[in-house]
Amino acid sequence: METKASVSPATFLDKIVVPGDVVLDLSSLTNQTIKLGGGLRQDCDSISVMKAGKLKFSKPNKYWVESSHKRYVPSVEDTVLGIVVDSKADNFLVDIKGPAIAFLPVLAFEGGTRRNIPKFEVGSLLYVRVVKANPGMNPELSCTDASGKAAEFGLLKDGYMFETSTGQSRMLLSSPTCPVLEALGKQLSFEIAVGLNGRVWVCFLMPFLELIAYWVVLFSSCSVTCSMVNAASPSMVVVVSNAIMNSEYLSGVQQQIMVEKLLQRIK
Amino acid sequence: METDRADGRTANQLRPLSCSRNTLHRAHGSASWSQGDTKVLAAVYGPKAGTKKNENPEKPCFEVIWKPKSGQIGKLEKEYEMILKRTVQSICILTVNQNTTTSIIIQVVHDDGAVSFDDYVFHYSVFIRLLPCAINAACAALVDAGIPMKHLAVAICCCLAESGYVILDPTKLEEQVTLISSQYLFTDLSEVTGIIWLE
Repeated sequence: METKASVSPATFLDKIVVPGDVVLDLSSLTNQTIKLGGGLRQDCDSISVMKAGKLKFSKPNKYWVESSHKRYVPSVEDTVLGIVVDSKADNFLVDIKGPAIAFLPVLAFEGGTRRNIPKFEVGSLLYVRVVKANPGMNPELSCTDASGKAAEFGLLKDGYMFETSTGQSRMLLSSPTCPVLEALGKQLSFEIAVGLNGRVWVCFLMPFLELIAYWVVLFSSCSVTCSMVNAASPSMVVVVSNAIMNSEYLSGVQQQIMVEKLLQRIK
Repeated sequence: METDRADGRTANQLRPLSCSRNTLHRAHGSASWSQGDTKVLAAVYGPKAGTKKNENPEKPCFEVIWKPKSGQIGKLEKEYEMILKRTVQSICILTVNQNTTTSIIIQVVHDDGAVSFDDYVFHYSVFIRLLPCAINAACAALVDAGIPMKHLAVAICCCLAESGYVILDPTKLEEQVTLISSQYLFTDLSEVTGIIWLE
């Protein structure tokens, strides 16, 4: 009654797979090296699926399951947004939405020495890079890039942070530019940091002329104009955040239409 | 060969099934499963760092909380939690995510038919149909949360009707008059686990 059909990888490629599906039979392949990414595991002579998602293949020999979840699985060279939970003598304890809390060494900053250790309050948001992600150990982070430069890593001040799924973060970081970000960028100017762990930070950039006006107003203490300049930024940040959160299940064209309708209502 | 079931089903016919995932915004994984009138909502939180006191830190810990539709939590709920915990441990991979806790919360949304106070006191096993529904909901919620699993689990309840035939997916009334009912859990094609309840 039990017949094992020969499993060729082509049957499952780009299709939805669920845990337990056997996607590759290793006994039929000889002298080949196969690289397994996330969501797949080796079970004696067969490769079976651990997480539900779409099976992907990239030449010459990489297989992985692409899925979108609310928790993050740390992997090396990922850039993520972490929240400082505690600080110890040697490390900052940073939460990156993974199964274990991550360590950020106090010296992992550009020009970092024992004398100029930065002080992060509990709850501050950091843009960091994952350096080590071994199973069973706490992941290690760094605020420098591979060559030791700061490169935009570090504390993110002001702005607003919200959480999405990991699949949505990957879509926002894809190249060419994601349609929703392109449509928003044509009409607004804002600063955005996307972490692969599902966290997004948005901050509003004030145009140069408005910045001058703001400082003039501040010094001349004209209260009416001051409130007009300040009201612009929080509502724009909310608009950008809502547009991004709503765009998860929309196609490219739908995202552009959604952004146009949203911005029309503001004006 | 034809058995007279109150709702007109044949012996092998199940009630209409429906399942939806990602129903809860805050939970990391959630699913609702309904079989006929019985509806169960499962939510998964985790994996989060740290295990409980008496648990082995070399394996991920699974904690199940069963919330009945009404009433206080008693021995029956604790028994369901234990059965569900063993089920989840058998389908999830225990070599990843060591020293973490994953919480699964089962909320009974609706049980088949109205339950009077007398029923609850005198029929100990009146909620047996909930267990297969809860196992299916918990499995769907774990898949939604992305917890690494070996395979999916499917559970079904069957009981012996008065006429001597085995009927699948009994309703509350059918189960009250039966002598034996049992649930079967299918994880792999080669593995079947069963629990048998005798009245």
